[in-house]
Amino acid sequence: MHPTPIVTLAAAEKLLKTLEEFLDKCEGLFAMIIDRGGTILSQTGRAPETADITVLAALAAGSFAATRELATRVGESEFNALYQQGSHFHILMNAADDDTMLVTIFGTQTTVGLVRFYAARTADQIAIQMQELRAGGDDAQPIFTEADLSAAPEVFDGTTLKP
Amino acid sequence: MAIINYANKEVQFKIVYYGPALCGKTTNLAYIHSQITESNKGELVSLATAADRTLFFDFLPLNAIVIRNFKTKFQLYTVPGQVIYNATRQLVLRSVDGIVFVADSQWDKMEENIESFRNLEENLARQGHSLDTIPYVIQHNKRDMPSIAPVHYIDFLLNDRAVRVPSVEACATTGEGVFETLNTVSRLLLVKFAREAEAAAIKSRSAAAASPMAGIAAGVRDHQSLR
Repeated sequence: MHPTPIVTLAAAEKLLKTLEEFLDKCEGLFAMIIDRGGTILSQTGRAPETADITVLAALAAGSFAATRELATRVGESEFNALYQQGSHFHILMNAADDDTMLVTIFGTQTTVGLVRFYAARTADQIAIQMQELRAGGDDAQPIFTEADLSAAPEVFDGTTLKP
Repeated sequence: MAIINYANKEVQFKIVYYGPALCGKTTNLAYIHSQITESNKGELVSLATAADRTLFFDFLPLNAIVIRNFKTKFQLYTVPGQVIYNATRQLVLRSVDGIVFVADSQWDKMEENIESFRNLEENLARQGHSLDTIPYVIQHNKRDMPSIAPVHYIDFLLNDRAVRVPSVEACATTGEGVFETLNTVSRLLLVKFAREAEAAAIKSRSAAAASPMAGIAAGVRDHQSLR
């Protein structure tokens, strides 16, 4: 197993296909797969215009982690789904495995029951795909080496900083 | 944990700013946010109380240099410094790749610095990590305050190890030392990442060479090259 999880092109396509099929079936607006640290692994659909997806992922991961803590306080290992209801948009978060979760945004065009039903199935599929993803990558070549780093004096340089 | 995404050609890392209450963790992120170009930063999110104290975390996503066509992305988090929020600190530390420990340089904060540093070690241990394996930097913040301890004294308290980690003097309110800290920890992270990937590749090549099929495959390759 490679020390760092690698989302290869093949794995990315597979995850995306799973998400697209799920979104189509549940008639949701947007879905993403994130790790519990808040990093986005795959996404599809259209999120509400006000949503910054990166921030959404970080908040979802934080929110789910807090819920997990609540669960342990009442003797559960985890609440495996978390639903946030709004007036126009709703969010459903499902645990796929110990490190991955599925986040779905949907509106009034569908029902929470339908989304829940397909989300639970999709989360199981994602768990299997993530297991394959983590097991792979053994033959991956380093994407850069220490020598490449010595050519870059600063990680945050003139290209990222304001003049 | 860092993630390599070949589909987007990017590598993502998580850095957590840790330290006692009111040591300047959020101020570090606010200064960084103010200095990065719009296209290379996301929104700075602060989940704070009405009194502007961090309740859950602050979050700032950044893009940094491109290496061999791969974008490097860093997600910066802070933890709430107040003692009562330890459960939250544990959550934020999940999947951490690098740490900035922000120490308050004022004399009367030394005990809180030590307590927070020990708390960091304990919380990492709960997740099966330790400061021996996670790259980190100690920032001596608030060097502009009137009653401050000398740098070597704070290093003696927090950085007294066989191999000392880098420490940076800073004044987060003016921005002094803020980017030096960020550049130092992110470089440590990238170096560790590159070394691990190189070691994994070497291991993989050795394993392939040692496998019984490798000899046959090599023979087939040789045969084909001779034709």
